[in-house]
Order: sequence, then C-alpha cells, then structure tokens
Amino acid sequence: MDDDERVLSPEETLRLIEQQGATAAHRLMPDPVPHYLAWGVAWFVGFGVLFLHHGLSGTPYAPVPLGVALALLFGLMAMAMLISAMTMWQLRSPVRGVSQERGMMYGFAWGFGFFAMWMIAVRFGQLLPGSERNLLWASLSMMVVAVLYMAGGAIWLVRPMFVLGAGLAVLNAVGTAAGPGWHALLMSVGAGGGSVVAGLVLRRRMRA
Amino acid sequence: MTPELDPVIHAQARLRVVVTLNTLPEGDRIAFPGLKDLLGMTAGNLSVHLSKLEEAGYVEITKTHRGRTPVTYVALTRRGRVAFEDYTAAIRGLLDTSVPPASGVT
Repeated sequence: MDDDERVLSPEETLRLIEQQGATAAHRLMPDPVPHYLAWGVAWFVGFGVLFLHHGLSGTPYAPVPLGVALALLFGLMAMAMLISAMTMWQLRSPVRGVSQERGMMYGFAWGFGFFAMWMIAVRFGQLLPGSERNLLWASLSMMVVAVLYMAGGAIWLVRPMFVLGAGLAVLNAVGTAAGPGWHALLMSVGAGGGSVVAGLVLRRRMRA
Repeated sequence: MTPELDPVIHAQARLRVVVTLNTLPEGDRIAFPGLKDLLGMTAGNLSVHLSKLEEAGYVEITKTHRGRTPVTYVALTRRGRVAFEDYTAAIRGLLDTSVPPASGVT
C-alpha cells in the first residue's frame, strides 16, 4: 500500500493542510518584497541626491549637477521598474482567471496613468522656471504612484500597500507646498524609507 | 474513530490537491501540468484523484485549446470550497475534543 493511503491522525492532517497551503501560496503568489526594496532604494538614493542638489534654503549641500541627479533618479527608477516587471508579471504562472485579468488591468492603469501625467507635465512644464519644472515632474509622478498604490491596496486588500500610498500622497502634497528641496527630502526619506519598511512588513507577514 | 470526515477529502493525496486549489482565489484556475509539478504527483495519479473529486462535484475540469495544444484547467467549485472548510473545521474539532489518553488512532 503506498504512503498516500495511510490514515493520518488529526494532528498530522492539520499539519499537512498548513504545510501544503503554505507551499502552494509560496509557489503561486509572486514575492512582492524585491519590488518594494528596489523602489525604496531608488527613491532613497535618487531623491536623496536631488535633495543635496537643491538644498532646503536654495543653496546646494553638495556640488551635484542637476543633470547627474536626475539621470541617477531616473536610472534607478528604470531599474526598479524592471525588477517589478520581472517579479510581478507572472508570465510562466500556470494560473489563469480573474486574478490574471485584475493584474493586467492594474498594469495598464500604470501605463495610462503615466502617459496622461507625461502629457500634462510636458505641456505645462515648459511655462515654468527650471526648479519648478522639476518639482512638477516629480510631484505629478509621485501622485500617480500614490493613487495607484492606494488602489492596489484596495484591490488586493494589502493594508501596507494602501498605507504606503496614502503616506506618499500626504508627503507629496506637503513637499510640493514646501518647495523642491523639501519635496526631494520627504520623498527620499518618506517614500524611499516607507517602501523599504512596507517591503520588510510584507516579508515578515509572508513568513508568519 | 473518525466521525463525519468527508471520505472524498480524507485521503492524503486528495487533501493535498484540495488544499492547493483552495489557495487560488475564486474565479481562478490552474493548468494541469502546473498543478502536477506543484504537488509532485504523476499525471496518472493526479488524474485519478481529480476524477474522484470531480465526481463529488468538488472540482471543475475545463478542457480548452491554446493555439493547437489542448490545455486542461482545474479549479475548486464553491461546493468543494465549502466541503474543505467543513473538513478543516471537523479536524480542528477532533483536536479540541481529543483528551490525552485517546491515542487509539490506528
């Protein structure tokens, strides 16, 4: 008689249910932690360097040219985007159905959101002086991110994701009101740090 | 003595199948080869267990085509989900009531 047919005790049965459930969840759900860590590092370093360029009172804290700071920020964000796509876009997943459709619509929402934002920033950015133009780009893009994080938290009922999105929305608003230096500082510490924290919270939750 | 434990689910292999399918949200289905790999079962073995679960109305098996290759998808039905919940509750109930000397499980 093969092992499959052996009668299990209730304890063994419960352990089997828990272990198999955890294994299946682990294999079928994408691991969101690399996504949060990659974005956390990108924002922390990218906006951090931008903050050093702007300074809080208009005098730079470090002689970083704006072009270098922006190239670093966008380069790191492009890398984070690549990591997100690789971990979240489950091309090889054997699962089909509603969750796939949900994920696809959500992915498109990012595309359309950034497309619309890009048009607005190009149109109105040219009317603004340099530092205000950068703030327009930074604040608009962080607003799209904040809204989509809140939406994602609501769609998948992931509270840390929603909290991160809501926090980003508030910090983004405060930073925009305060000016380019403050905005960069709040995004570096708040958004970058917040994303790393959200990643660590989710990692702990997944291991529990 | 195991009263009222659903015999369809109360077999190690089928229990693992049901637990795995239960982790998918309602409305999702998994391709047969993916399920087979996840469980580490042979195709033949898994087929046998799936047809027993299908007979009981616990799983739904959909055969479709992707391009020219046939694909089989498996999902837990609502009835299967309820049956698994009841089964888990029954197991927990057994654990709660089992007093220390009752180690007469064969």
